[in-house]
Amino acid sequence: MPEIMQYVPGTSLLHSLNPLPKLLMVVLVAVLAIASGSLFPLGLLVIAILLAAAAMRLAGPLVRQLPLLVSLTISLLLLTILTMQEGETIGYLVPASVPVIGGTFPITAGAVEFGLLLSLRFFAMLFAFQLLVITTMPHDLVHALQRLRLPADYALIFLVALRFIPSLQLEGQRIREAQLTRGYNPGKGVRGLVRTLAPIVVPLVSNSLGRANVLGLTIDLRGYRSSRQVSLRDRSLHRRDMAAIALLLGSSGLYLALCRATLPV
Amino acid sequence: MIALEHYSYAYPSRTDRALDDVSFHVKKGEVVLVTGPTGAGKTTLCLAAAGILHHDYGGGCSGRVVLMGREIADYHGLAEIGRHVGVVFDDPEAQLIFTTVEEEIASGLEGLALPREHLVARLEEVLAVTGTADLRERAPHTLSGGQKQRVALAATLALDTEILVLDEPTSELDEAGTQMLFRIIEQLKSRGKTVMIVEHKLDALFALADRMVFLEKGRILFEGAPEEHLRDERVRAVLHAARPGHVLRRDRKRATTTAPIVTIKGLVHAYDGVEALQGIDTTIRPGEFVAVIGDNGSGKTTLIKHLVGLLKPTGGSVTVAKADTRKVAIHELARTVGLVFQNPDTMLFEETVEQEVAFGPGNLGLSDVPGRVSRALEEVGLTAHRRTYPRSLSRGERQRLAIACVIATAPEVIVLDEPTTGLDAVESDRVMTLASRLRDEGKTIVMVTHNMRIVEDNADRIICLERGLIAADSEEGGEEAICRRLCSTSREPVSFTA
Repeated sequence: MPEIMQYVPGTSLLHSLNPLPKLLMVVLVAVLAIASGSLFPLGLLVIAILLAAAAMRLAGPLVRQLPLLVSLTISLLLLTILTMQEGETIGYLVPASVPVIGGTFPITAGAVEFGLLLSLRFFAMLFAFQLLVITTMPHDLVHALQRLRLPADYALIFLVALRFIPSLQLEGQRIREAQLTRGYNPGKGVRGLVRTLAPIVVPLVSNSLGRANVLGLTIDLRGYRSSRQVSLRDRSLHRRDMAAIALLLGSSGLYLALCRATLPV
Repeated sequence: MIALEHYSYAYPSRTDRALDDVSFHVKKGEVVLVTGPTGAGKTTLCLAAAGILHHDYGGGCSGRVVLMGREIADYHGLAEIGRHVGVVFDDPEAQLIFTTVEEEIASGLEGLALPREHLVARLEEVLAVTGTADLRERAPHTLSGGQKQRVALAATLALDTEILVLDEPTSELDEAGTQMLFRIIEQLKSRGKTVMIVEHKLDALFALADRMVFLEKGRILFEGAPEEHLRDERVRAVLHAARPGHVLRRDRKRATTTAPIVTIKGLVHAYDGVEALQGIDTTIRPGEFVAVIGDNGSGKTTLIKHLVGLLKPTGGSVTVAKADTRKVAIHELARTVGLVFQNPDTMLFEETVEQEVAFGPGNLGLSDVPGRVSRALEEVGLTAHRRTYPRSLSRGERQRLAIACVIATAPEVIVLDEPTTGLDAVESDRVMTLASRLRDEGKTIVMVTHNMRIVEDNADRIICLERGLIAADSEEGGEEAICRRLCSTSREPVSFTA
């Protein structure tokens, strides 16, 4: 079962960096993605992230997100096509050759462009976020967030959310197995999906809620909500972290210049 | 260290008292064993002693709780109490918050104001003592139940608190793990730590505990030296389910003439390059009661998942009632073989007990579903609860409900995965009596367990797995090896047997 958004132990450059430059990367990518209003620089940004990931042998987990991203792109495109009418009409969702309803739902160039723009922004942000998550121990991430004055509780919420994704996946799998051995056969397709709900979702939710109580008590009793004095790991910013921050800021400036140059006047 | 004076407690929106006029003291350096039937208030007592009831749960209480000479209400919340009291809860999964074992242990350490070298040394020590050093890079969700329990214990031990409260810390540990825990408690005791432990595995603790508290319906029935609890009449009345212990049953000779119902040939199962099973060959005949034993990670669960078709062999074959499990869908196989999962909460989802039991037969399109449901509930003794919401039943009742769900589909083979985990002696006895009765009715029972007592008391045959292979089989002349294994764990002939 592929694991979503989990730390992958490794020795890449990103692994060796302090979480702070990586957090900065996520923020910068998000800002840049929103700031760029045309497809070309945004496309370049996504490709640049992918290439950088590939250079550090981290492209695998990003590529694994593609099915999700493609389905997101398709839904965004459908949404913009249905709700936006701008620019040239380049076709129809229902081909004109179909009798009676043919030629409805025109596809306009403006809608397609906007849909793609939105999707590419998601690509860029999700990739950047994922690079952060797979190369940073959640524990270090929490420390970094606390250093940025994020209250300990919020940092913990973030941590617990990440931590329990695979546990929920596993629990869901276990419940599905249990129901299968009771002769449960939901079948395939949308109908199967709907029939799956009660026997799997009910135990999943009940068990998770039961767990939340003990989880909260453990966090309190082990003193995770207090701020730390001592750190077992070296968390100071090194020269390579500084270099990474400089590199990020520099390339962001370049990118913004590129955006301005390609922006239709 | 801990003192409760005439303490009574009722959970929020409940009127019945979970603890009723409880008074007891735990002195510094004492190990106190808390025991009693399921639902007696053992966990509630732990929560009260650690100040959790007062600072987190709310609810109605009277009397006093004094922790290290201070009223519990005077502490500023659980974070302050946590500096003095470490608590290991009975659900290990929920206590692992971080994404690797090392982080889990290190995070608590960092809250202590100590120099870094001390902390690193402490981390290594805790990893070594709890046998978790080779798990340090692993993520919690990849650990087995027993391993999770070790890590939860390690993370709490790391904090080096004066008081430790352990709520059923061995429920998912194998024998080696249980022995390890008892050694740790011994060490803690020698270092003057105070330990309060809720446990059903009493034998080994008798030597270790200074005192025993026996709870029943929220009241303390007995308090005193552990070995004396059986002299108390009221305790004996509660432990009515005393049964004579007996070694491996030899009264039932294996009928060699009947054709096997389960045939396993050269079974190999590999995933991610790890061979969990490395070539299992055996047959099981109708009416046998087979116990599958072995340490955590020896392949027990992988093996039984093959019997119900949840896993398919990557080499060799498994045949159940003439059906090759590779060729039959899981829901078809469910007609001949039923699996009772370790944790009944994995499957309970309906509104009433009755509906829950009807789910299986309904799925399989069997005839006379209401009749089947009634008979199954009758068999497990839950007829009175037929309209109850399944999740509001006690742990033991939920376990019996899970068995009823399987009985209702009338499979020839019933597989039980750790059927007594988390049950007290009385409830596990009921579950095992039920299993034996099903065998007497002609069912074939395959049971995976860590509990050697129920193996001795119930099984006709024992298969011992080791690293994915059958290390010994009592039918194949492996009796001696198995007896050594059964005896290697120090067990007095007492426990809940008068």
